[in-house]
Amino acid sequence: MDEHFRAFTFVDRINSIHPGVRIRGSYAIPQGIGSFPASLVAEAVGQLAAWSAMAALDFKCRPVAGLAANIEMLSAVRPGQVLELAAELETVDAEAVAYGGTAHADGVPVIRLQHCVGPMIPLEDFDDPQVLRARLALLQGDGAVPGGFRGVPTFPLDRSGGETGKSLRATLQVPTSASFFADHFPRRPVFPGTLLMNANLELAAALAAQLPAPAVGESWVLRGVSDVKLRAFTPPGETLEIEARLNQHLPEGATLTVETRKGKRVISGARVRLAPEGVV
Amino acid sequence: MSNTNITKEEIMGVFPKVAATMADALGCDVEEVKLDASLIDDLGAESIDFLDIVFRLERAFKVKIPRGKIVEEARGDLSEAEFDQGGVVSAAGFERLKSFLNEVPAERFKSPMKVAEIPRLFTVGTFCKMVLRQQRAAAATAPPA
Repeated sequence: MDEHFRAFTFVDRINSIHPGVRIRGSYAIPQGIGSFPASLVAEAVGQLAAWSAMAALDFKCRPVAGLAANIEMLSAVRPGQVLELAAELETVDAEAVAYGGTAHADGVPVIRLQHCVGPMIPLEDFDDPQVLRARLALLQGDGAVPGGFRGVPTFPLDRSGGETGKSLRATLQVPTSASFFADHFPRRPVFPGTLLMNANLELAAALAAQLPAPAVGESWVLRGVSDVKLRAFTPPGETLEIEARLNQHLPEGATLTVETRKGKRVISGARVRLAPEGVV
Repeated sequence: MSNTNITKEEIMGVFPKVAATMADALGCDVEEVKLDASLIDDLGAESIDFLDIVFRLERAFKVKIPRGKIVEEARGDLSEAEFDQGGVVSAAGFERLKSFLNEVPAERFKSPMKVAEIPRLFTVGTFCKMVLRQQRAAAATAPPA
């Protein structure tokens, strides 16, 4: 099966587009998948913004995930819900796109992205510009047939060390082949940055579970991510080391740092914000 | 856009906020962000960090910073062909570069210099001047009160 626009595509329809300025669209989360984590909701907003940026630059460049100053995780979504996506582009040029965006489901805010930056790369190195032009026309017209995504791939995190309640380390083995590589991207497979961040957030959640409960009957939940930086592409088959470290632990909130290394090189980092459950 | 009349006092006026912004972007202590520190060689900045720094400075100082324009501004009235000769900075271009980047310690300018190596010269002070130039440009085009 051709996995292009199926295995890792999270925009089904574009309702309005002003290239380089703003865009509105939607994505129907398939029924029957186990979950749809916040990192993929963020990916959906980023993909929507990318369409506006690519259209503005006549499909000569496309953005990739790079920076996110702040991502607020406002509520969870369920398979079967439709994400209403919106992105506002602050600037777009051959070097980068700067944007913010939101996702809602059934009128409830799900995620808010602020001050995101996607570095631009030559589009034809990664995909076919003509195929993307046709795809944009489809999304603006009848829309894509939903249901291509078959669920979040599982990447076992092999715990490798840490200090209980203070840090956790794990090894992530990027698969050598997976359906999403055919979609991200057809001409150059790259491990999606949002799947890497999802693995980082899983480790952060595991560390959060080791912290003393904020209060009786309460637990720590992920409420936001800030200072996200993705420094390098990860090709198939890489072995990565992920670490989550506790920065600050107060009754009203806690912050962690998550970092991914390939050998000695840091290839991604972010700060994770925890809050007691029920407190926004 | 000339920067020959940017004073040390003006640079030191914006330096603390520029340094704090860079420290946030690079994840380092603000004490490491010295005025003459090279972003690449001393602070370990990569291309994504340059993007991060420029966007953060824009938000912090509420200015627009044209990206990739430092070399163009350093060229001044030299044409591209007069400045860049087969990827190497010409003699005239080298002198123009030293004058424009007068915040960079003189010993860091090594001739012949490849055009691609110019970003290695950029210091924290280079970005302080960038902010000041954009503040002046914004003030010059602002409507009268």
